[in-house]
Amino acid sequence: MTTAEPGIGPSPESGAAGGPTVLRMLLGAQLRRLRESKGITRETAGWEIRASESKISRMELGRVSFKERDIVDLLTLYGVSDDAEREALLSLAREANAPNWWQRYTDVLPNWFQPFLGLEAAAELIRTYEVQFVPGLLQTRDYARAVLSLAPDNPSGEDVDRRVAVRLGRQQILTRPDAPALWAVVDEAVLRRPVGGTEAMRMQIEALIEASKLPNVTVQVIPFSAGGHSAAGGAFTILRFPDQGLPDVVYLEQITTALYLDKRDDVEAYAVAMSRLCVEAEPPARTVKILEGILRDL
Amino acid sequence: MNDHSEATSADTHEMASRIDTTRPHPARRYNYWLGGKDNFAADRASGDAIAAKFPGIRIGAQENRKFLRRAVTYLASEAGIEQFLDIGTGLPTADNTHEVAQRTAPQSKVVYVDNDPLVMVHARALLTSAEVGVTDYVEADLREPDKIMLEAARTLDFSQPVALMLVAVLHFIGDDDDPYGIVARLVDGLAPGSYLVISHATDEHLPEAVKAAFANMPDRPSFRDHEQVTRFFSGLQLVPPGVVSSVEWRVENEPGPRASVEDVATHCGVARKP
Repeated sequence: MTTAEPGIGPSPESGAAGGPTVLRMLLGAQLRRLRESKGITRETAGWEIRASESKISRMELGRVSFKERDIVDLLTLYGVSDDAEREALLSLAREANAPNWWQRYTDVLPNWFQPFLGLEAAAELIRTYEVQFVPGLLQTRDYARAVLSLAPDNPSGEDVDRRVAVRLGRQQILTRPDAPALWAVVDEAVLRRPVGGTEAMRMQIEALIEASKLPNVTVQVIPFSAGGHSAAGGAFTILRFPDQGLPDVVYLEQITTALYLDKRDDVEAYAVAMSRLCVEAEPPARTVKILEGILRDL
Repeated sequence: MNDHSEATSADTHEMASRIDTTRPHPARRYNYWLGGKDNFAADRASGDAIAAKFPGIRIGAQENRKFLRRAVTYLASEAGIEQFLDIGTGLPTADNTHEVAQRTAPQSKVVYVDNDPLVMVHARALLTSAEVGVTDYVEADLREPDKIMLEAARTLDFSQPVALMLVAVLHFIGDDDDPYGIVARLVDGLAPGSYLVISHATDEHLPEAVKAAFANMPDRPSFRDHEQVTRFFSGLQLVPPGVVSSVEWRVENEPGPRASVEDVATHCGVARKP
């Protein structure tokens, strides 16, 4: 995609709760790329699905929900005949339309965080770098509770419980049939900082040991002894989606907002940083030994 | 954590700095031709420049992966091979060697070898086995056959048959580096009943103008013709249909339109060590 294309993150016009999800925007952007690559006008595409030119425009901007039949017809018009490619896009459409399991928790989730839940669930590869906390997908209940209690909005005990439920709910993607791969790089500081106290930390490290044995989970540790390393910018996550045409998305969380980057230059800068971190980190085969050593030191 | 670190911090920094995205990189360029997302501007520019001279390169890369899939399937299902030594792994893509082998024979053991740190971190993280299968990784160059055999022996039992896979890698070894000696050294270490799998770029079928364009390329591959590729299999028994194009090797059970021999410009073969 060119840098002239609009980013897919929540833009000012879409920031309201219930606005287009990033998933819809991703799918819309991909439909536009496919249409343009065939030199087909919006008008022709609209005719194909018995709709107006402006309906196509709204679909491509992710502003309306998608009917599966419309996507099927458009993909045929755009010459997408490969079954796997069609299915990747159709499942994205279903994901974008599905009522999300976290709907009943939206009162405790910031607007800017909710698109991430959809993207994470749609990803086939999740690469994450953490400097302070264990990656959310690998947190235990007690550790998550301790982290979420620290939120700057001083949440009530009940709100913390609800946020913990969301965090644990997210983890179900790791054991579903077509589970994504999770490739995490964590700084040794993450493992040495006893969030929630020594006992909670012990259980968390033990859970990390178990998780790192899953075939779709890789954890690499960057030891203090590595010295300075390549990601001066702090924690970040790169999400990859099954469809070849969809760009990777970089997720950067801040205190009051989050950034979703999908422009090629941005994504590649983070991809290089991630690759260097993975080379600098201890190889995955050493992770269990390292974690066992940290357990002994606790 | 120094007690179990083999590499020093200075080593890993040096390796990380070898991830240079300003220059084209063969594994990332190949990933680009295959439609992958692990490539950068310099890789795409170089890939496009090669594709401009040789438009078949993308289809050639795809057909090469299909050959790998058919060859591994044949070895796992018909030849009873359960150990694979895959040299020149490349960046993960669809149907990696262990996935194909373990689909037929879940207990298959696969050792991936590559000389590139970026490829190695991807392999260690993403080319992993579920349950009974085993995957291991050796960071070494094809020009170091003894090191490869020594380190692969951590995982593979070389007293039993092994499939040695040299898929789209030998054309990176120029004649000065003794490619025939390297292959002979590797094959020497294999038990009877082992197999050698090769795919290799060739300019035999290319028009003169394309040949001339390649001749001026600074990092041009070492193309070899049918006779030269066949010579890698000396002393081994070629499995039918012998050394043929990647679009001709046991394609009977793989439906779909096929690219032409000229498009893919690849010689392939599988042979058994008696």
